[in-house]
Amino acid sequence: MMKKSRLIAVLLLLCLLFPLGAQGQAESGQQKEIELRWASIWVGNDSKAPAVEALVEEFNTKNAGKIKVVIEPQPDYNAYEQKVRTSLAAGQAPADIFTIKFNPTTATFYQSNLLMDFQGKLDDAWKGTFDAGSLEQSTVDGMLKSLPMETAILPIWYNMDAMKSVGVNAMPATEQQMFSAFDKLKAAGIAPTSQMTGDTNAWTSMIWFSHFAVSLGGPNVWDKPFTDPAFVEAANLIKRMIQEYSTADAVGLGAGGSGGHFLAGRTAVFSNGPWYAGRADLAATPFFDSIKIGGLPAVGEYEDIMISRLQANICAASSKDADKEQAIVDFLKFLTSPSSIAKIAETSGAMFAIKTDYRPVNNLQKQFYDANEAASTTAFDLEAALGAEVTLEFAQQLGALALDRISAEEFCALVDRKIER
Amino acid sequence: MKKPLASIIGNTLKWILLISLLSLALLPLLWLLVSSLRTNLELQTDPFGWPQKFQWVNYANALAMASLPRLLLNSVVVAVVTVVLNSLVTSMGSFILAREHFKGRDILYTILTAGVLVPVISFMVPYFSMITRSGLYNTLLALILVYTAVNIPVSIFLVTAFMKSIPKELEEAAIMDGCGFFKRFSMIILPLSRSGIVTAATFCFIYSWNEFVMAMLLTSSIESRTIQLGIKFFSSQFITDYSSMYAAVIITIIPSILGYVFLHDKIIGGLTTGGVKG
Repeated sequence: MMKKSRLIAVLLLLCLLFPLGAQGQAESGQQKEIELRWASIWVGNDSKAPAVEALVEEFNTKNAGKIKVVIEPQPDYNAYEQKVRTSLAAGQAPADIFTIKFNPTTATFYQSNLLMDFQGKLDDAWKGTFDAGSLEQSTVDGMLKSLPMETAILPIWYNMDAMKSVGVNAMPATEQQMFSAFDKLKAAGIAPTSQMTGDTNAWTSMIWFSHFAVSLGGPNVWDKPFTDPAFVEAANLIKRMIQEYSTADAVGLGAGGSGGHFLAGRTAVFSNGPWYAGRADLAATPFFDSIKIGGLPAVGEYEDIMISRLQANICAASSKDADKEQAIVDFLKFLTSPSSIAKIAETSGAMFAIKTDYRPVNNLQKQFYDANEAASTTAFDLEAALGAEVTLEFAQQLGALALDRISAEEFCALVDRKIER
Repeated sequence: MKKPLASIIGNTLKWILLISLLSLALLPLLWLLVSSLRTNLELQTDPFGWPQKFQWVNYANALAMASLPRLLLNSVVVAVVTVVLNSLVTSMGSFILAREHFKGRDILYTILTAGVLVPVISFMVPYFSMITRSGLYNTLLALILVYTAVNIPVSIFLVTAFMKSIPKELEEAAIMDGCGFFKRFSMIILPLSRSGIVTAATFCFIYSWNEFVMAMLLTSSIESRTIQLGIKFFSSQFITDYSSMYAAVIITIIPSILGYVFLHDKIIGGLTTGGVKG
């Protein structure tokens, strides 16, 4: 009995020492070169992952013995954002470099002294490579504690094969043309649009709502109270879209289902960002070449405004070690250089806040660049402007609105309560 | 001899109910299995259809993507060591709480088991601080220690209830035969509590195997991450490779199912004993 107990005790001890040993090896393996840990969300299945990995490898080769960047993959964004919040609350930066989605929640990270302020680091040449608007949007109280990287526009997608089948040969240019086209599609048995109220943000319907609200209240509509008539009118319009011009399962439907309807040709009009354009299953659809990208016809007095968002920003940890800070700046200059950005854009079709001459070969992806340039101005979508909690409330109440359980005024009042002012 | 009509109707209703409940439990798993063998386009356009061609490549993708074999090994190490440590700590703690009489015993028991009611998420900041400051960040040991601690309340609750159900006379007879404190625990109570400990160990294993939030918080590289994080590699910000992800999910649930298949009699036995007599 005693022998057995001792054996178990020794085995247990070995089990405990094994991972400790692994840690010890990692630490003893460190050399004099500066190691930068990058908590990146562009990993796994993300279309930008291969290009980003290749760029990191290229940088590491160029700086062998001096700087080494190690990617720490963050596969789940929501859990990762929680991790960033937790580590900052515990008084530590989550990594030397880390990617965030810039929104009102992550903007609060700017209050932390653990983050590097790029205002003093950006020389004119480096600053000149960024889109000025994106830099301004990333600045909070005069601090630039994250650099804008990935941006996106959220236009409306038209399956022109379906539109032509009902005699509509061009994207609608006015509200009247839009509803007329939708009525024709409906009469032909095609659900005009892909709407949804499910998930945490009612994604596709949130995009439609954002187009309506911005057209009715202007690009700065998000600064107004949510009870403003522009939002009430936008709520009535999105309700009409869900009730009259969408699939019967829109209430409760998730983004997968909403996209699935468009892919299967069950709906003719869709809304999403450029990342959806590179999908293999979309390319496999018979109508792929007929897809047209554009804005939504104006439903209010403001026209030609494209909905956009800062998709990902890059933060860095402040450090008392000047060499380490310089190493971080060196890497970020390399990563945000037009040539690096062009490489990432080429493989992913994503759009960036860094100016490049790159234009996609893929016709659908190219249309995103064209739509962006054609817009007179851009405005944030609801989620980018008001944050995740407000958007969650929007999604939860949207189903009730669509089912006539609450009025548009009540809907707006409920969402308004979630906005922190 | 003919069975009375009431008995036939009763039996039929019983079987209908049982088959309905079985379907309710098994259909999602079956759907998952079928979906793991379809293409993403098939899934998006017809979620409940049958595969046009079985896509075994999804399983190859699942294994290749996100270093799944390494993550699987890490999960096994974390879950097994956690279970061993947790069983060791809770069996000793429960022995004291169930079989010994001392002042403050009930308060101690209440404090230990009250942890069941506290959401684990509220411990994130203290756990993160302790683990990083002790130099254990990004190690398997960090996960092992946290999972062991998190599971103590449930395990203490189950094992103590089980140990309380063992007749006092057995222990008294052992004392008469000359058993001391350690022998009473190791030779009498511990072997008789096997079902209860296995039940607690099973819950501990399932928790350690499925846990995601702490694994994400306390690790940063493939070398120390677990399988649940690997599953997330199939979804990016807006696009998810559902079929490969489902294949990965099937791979990850196999150990839990096997564990239950081999130990289900002890789990049920432990639960009912703890529940009825505790």
